[in-house]
Amino acid sequence: MSEAKPLALVVDDEVQIRRFLRAGLELDGFAVEEAENGSEALRSATLQPPDLVILDLGLPDMDGSEVLERLRGWSTVPVIVLSVRSHEGEKVRLLEKGGDDYVVKPFGMAELLARAHAAMRRYARASTGEPVINIGPLSIDLAARIVTVHGARVMFTPKEYRLLQLLAQHAGNVVTHQFLLKEIWGAPHLNDTHYLRIFMRKLRQKIEANPTQPRILLTELGVGYRLVTPEAAAASASGRV
Amino acid sequence: MAIRFERIQRELRGSAIALLMVAATTLVVYALAASLEIRRGSAVYLLPVLLAGWHLGLIPALVAAVAGVLLSGYFFFSPYYSFFVARPNEFVTLLLFMVVAGVTSHLANSMKQQTELARKREKEMSDLYAFSRRLAVAPSAADIHRAIEEHLANLVQRKVVLFGAGPRRETASEAAPLSGRVHAAIAEIQEGRTASTIVDDGAGDIWLVRRVSEKTADFGVIAIDLGSVPAEKIEEVRQRVDEVLADAAATLERLDVARVLNDAKMRSETELLREALIGSVSHELRTPLASILGAATVLSQSPEVARDERLNSLAGVVRDESERLNNDIQNLLDATRVSRQQITPRAEWIEPQDIVNSAVERRRRYLAAHQVLLDLETNLPLIYVDAVLVEQAFVQIVDNAAKYSPAGSPIILSAKRNASHVVLSVRDVGAGLTAEEGTQIYERFFRGKRHVATTSGSGLGLWIAQAFVSANGGKIEAESAGIGQGTTVAIHLPFATPTNQPEVGPDE
Repeated sequence: MSEAKPLALVVDDEVQIRRFLRAGLELDGFAVEEAENGSEALRSATLQPPDLVILDLGLPDMDGSEVLERLRGWSTVPVIVLSVRSHEGEKVRLLEKGGDDYVVKPFGMAELLARAHAAMRRYARASTGEPVINIGPLSIDLAARIVTVHGARVMFTPKEYRLLQLLAQHAGNVVTHQFLLKEIWGAPHLNDTHYLRIFMRKLRQKIEANPTQPRILLTELGVGYRLVTPEAAAASASGRV
Repeated sequence: MAIRFERIQRELRGSAIALLMVAATTLVVYALAASLEIRRGSAVYLLPVLLAGWHLGLIPALVAAVAGVLLSGYFFFSPYYSFFVARPNEFVTLLLFMVVAGVTSHLANSMKQQTELARKREKEMSDLYAFSRRLAVAPSAADIHRAIEEHLANLVQRKVVLFGAGPRRETASEAAPLSGRVHAAIAEIQEGRTASTIVDDGAGDIWLVRRVSEKTADFGVIAIDLGSVPAEKIEEVRQRVDEVLADAAATLERLDVARVLNDAKMRSETELLREALIGSVSHELRTPLASILGAATVLSQSPEVARDERLNSLAGVVRDESERLNNDIQNLLDATRVSRQQITPRAEWIEPQDIVNSAVERRRRYLAAHQVLLDLETNLPLIYVDAVLVEQAFVQIVDNAAKYSPAGSPIILSAKRNASHVVLSVRDVGAGLTAEEGTQIYERFFRGKRHVATTSGSGLGLWIAQAFVSANGGKIEAESAGIGQGTTVAIHLPFATPTNQPEVGPDE
């Protein structure tokens, strides 16, 4: 069965961080490769393509964003970035460069795993074409463009649906404001975050049980939005940092 | 020479005025004498003598006295209209008058001098008092230097530039453009090669450069612009300046300026050092903390630990405590950012309730012991702020509420609006605030006296929150009915309407 284990590549220069990540990932059923700098990470990823990359930003030989950029040259592997707080601009930049999600140091293992699984599922969905996403009472059929809450169909305007669709395609992972604005309104509106706020308000009114206290369409301040999957919701309830 | 000539001129002018006054007195008395039958009007002449003594000096007063004697002899003593005085007793009278007038003019003159001296002393005292007060409140060495510079400029009555004692050559007034020669002389004295020197700045001005005090280098080096002084006068001017500076240096010593200066330097250096230390230590602490916290969460998920309730709760303790430590470190980092004024908000349009929800989500574990109630108004206007900073401020307030109210009690978080502001508030039913505490809670390191022994904390939270909120154009207000009556802390943020709205196209 060992061949069936997904392979995670952990890139961090701190040995203690690598140790607990290895333990946590192995407990969760991953096989783990470690790299302590950028060039080692790139070599390892070439020799043995991983199913998941956990990438720290502060590496001794090159910037984490450079590793990401080079990796993205030939690989679509899900990448979760380890970030530090109060660097929202940096998080956004890494997500734009192809990072799938981030966790903020210090973080709990459950939170990291929830992000990682969400990203991996998205790649799996992209290859198998599984079109329906279920989050509690909410069901989104991406192929048929049908959304139901508790089985009752909910109608959207095209732009509202586009917003929901983009978030659902990345279910469990954060999607940046800039990405959403560009996809829905085009490049000239990259800074008009209030467009998103206004449409998100409408979406929440249609989907959330209590629109002022959303449980599904969450805001990541300074970064973007996250459509929460049941797994992530559980990780969050167990307490994220 | 020039001075003596000026003096003679002044005395001549004074004497002329004195004579005019005597003449005027004579006219008045003579006009009255006919109708009032006044005889021996010599006493009247004491008036011009007194006036001249007070206003014009001793010599004009004496001139007035002599003129008074002569004129009263001429007009008021028989034989009239002659300077000759016939009766011996009248002659004695005039002689007496002469003496009285002399004494009077002298008295008037010296009284005048005394008054002037007293006034000058009083001004010196008040200047000195203002100077010492300024020294006492000066926040930094540079401010003290500036105060000394102005004080010395005032005393010497010339343009002065003061330099610090050290090789760093900090000047009090950065703007002063000095010629290279003056700078060279200053450097020479700062290095201690000479104590005092005279230089020509090449632009026609002579500068005296010397240590402020001959005894110590603590007060720095002063460059005094003597103006265009002829070569033979330099020594004289220099002596005068030296005298003034000797007094000034004695004053500086008496005021213990050296210690004040050192204290100020020490303060700013320790402050810098402390902040650098906090910055690096915080980063160094966070990496191991990330390992500890991560490892604890892995442990609690491992089947062995998850099965054992005791071990599981221990892993929880490790996690909670490292989270707490992480928060403290974050506070230190934020405090460093605030005091270095490195808060640069990145504003965006944001839904006010998102800030509250995000804060609750982030502090879920910490708030688990309390009953968190949300009261969020629907359709609040969007606000244009740095949502991350405002959320951090809100988290500080929420943490305080949890810290100072009993476990199990409610904490009510609300988002409302008034005419011009969105108000995010946190209400608890805990310790409350006294009126005095209410005014002090925003101070850095403030901790309520009644909580110091029972609750841990750094006293940084609200100070940071205040800085973050005001950087976003908002304000924080705290209200409490008193001890044990609970507290409401609210963030007020102005709202506006976005200038462009998403188009309501055909698809809407």
